[in-house]
Amino acid sequence: MNTASKLTLAALALTVLATAAAQAQVNNANITATATVQQPINVSTGQSLNFGNVFPGVAKTIATTDATAGRWDVTGQASTLVNLSLTLPINLQSGLNLLPIANFTGSYNTANNAAAATPFPVAGASTSLSGTGALFVWVGGQVNPASNQPAGVYTASVTLTVTY
Amino acid sequence: MIRSLPLLLLALGSGVAPLAAQGRPLTVSRVRDLTFGTVLPGVPRVILRTDPTNSGQFDLVGAKSNQVLLTFALPLVMTGPAPATMPLTFGGSDAGYSSTQAIGSQVAFDPNQPFLATLNKNGRGSVFIGGTAQPSTSQRAGPYTGTLALTVAYFP
Repeated sequence: MNTASKLTLAALALTVLATAAAQAQVNNANITATATVQQPINVSTGQSLNFGNVFPGVAKTIATTDATAGRWDVTGQASTLVNLSLTLPINLQSGLNLLPIANFTGSYNTANNAAAATPFPVAGASTSLSGTGALFVWVGGQVNPASNQPAGVYTASVTLTVTY
Repeated sequence: MIRSLPLLLLALGSGVAPLAAQGRPLTVSRVRDLTFGTVLPGVPRVILRTDPTNSGQFDLVGAKSNQVLLTFALPLVMTGPAPATMPLTFGGSDAGYSSTQAIGSQVAFDPNQPFLATLNKNGRGSVFIGGTAQPSTSQRAGPYTGTLALTVAYFP
């Protein structure tokens, strides 16, 4: 091998070394994503709103403090703000017969005590769950039977929606 | 032939010299986890990449002013109390790169795509990431975690 060839080989060796040194370096690291999900809201029917017997032509009102007011029992994350909204019927129904219902009233309390509850507009309100995650919501209203209201059992649904 | 060798060696020399000068190995390290904190069922929780407390952060160290390719491996969900999972999403500007390592001075990029960044003149840079946790209305209560991996490729 002559001097020129040796130098060429040396140069090629350097090329290989340089190429190897030019290989990409790769490194990586991880981080953790964390979240803590709080208790979901649960709404259950505590008691239905019951007007009892009504007479044709005689309106009947049930207040939120009455024994037959409607009540929902709410549980969720302790001491957390929630939004209350009501979906209200305009009639009770018995077959094809309708019985108008209006003048709804609402109240809430973190204890199951309607007499000490806080009234709220049925259009909606916000309040906090108790330190144990409880809330009680009451609803009252007024039915207005016509003077010729057909006899029967009239029902409708009143819905409370609670969101964080 | 012999006359041409000095030119060849000179060319090689110019290629080797910068590599020798660079020296510093590439490192990427975790600075801060991505923290969504308390999440309520049915209420999405968004963490911005500019959030100084809750965004995730990696620091990069390598050769001065060198380019690096950033590639995330992102989880689709966080895992909670078995078998519960919670969706996790990353938008097109949920990641940011800062050659000054300042959270307030980032270039946004899509963490779902590789991104070419340039280390600063001291060979440093920082990567920030935010995201959105999407709990369902019936999401099971408890702690959830997921792993985000950042791979950095370095081309000397």
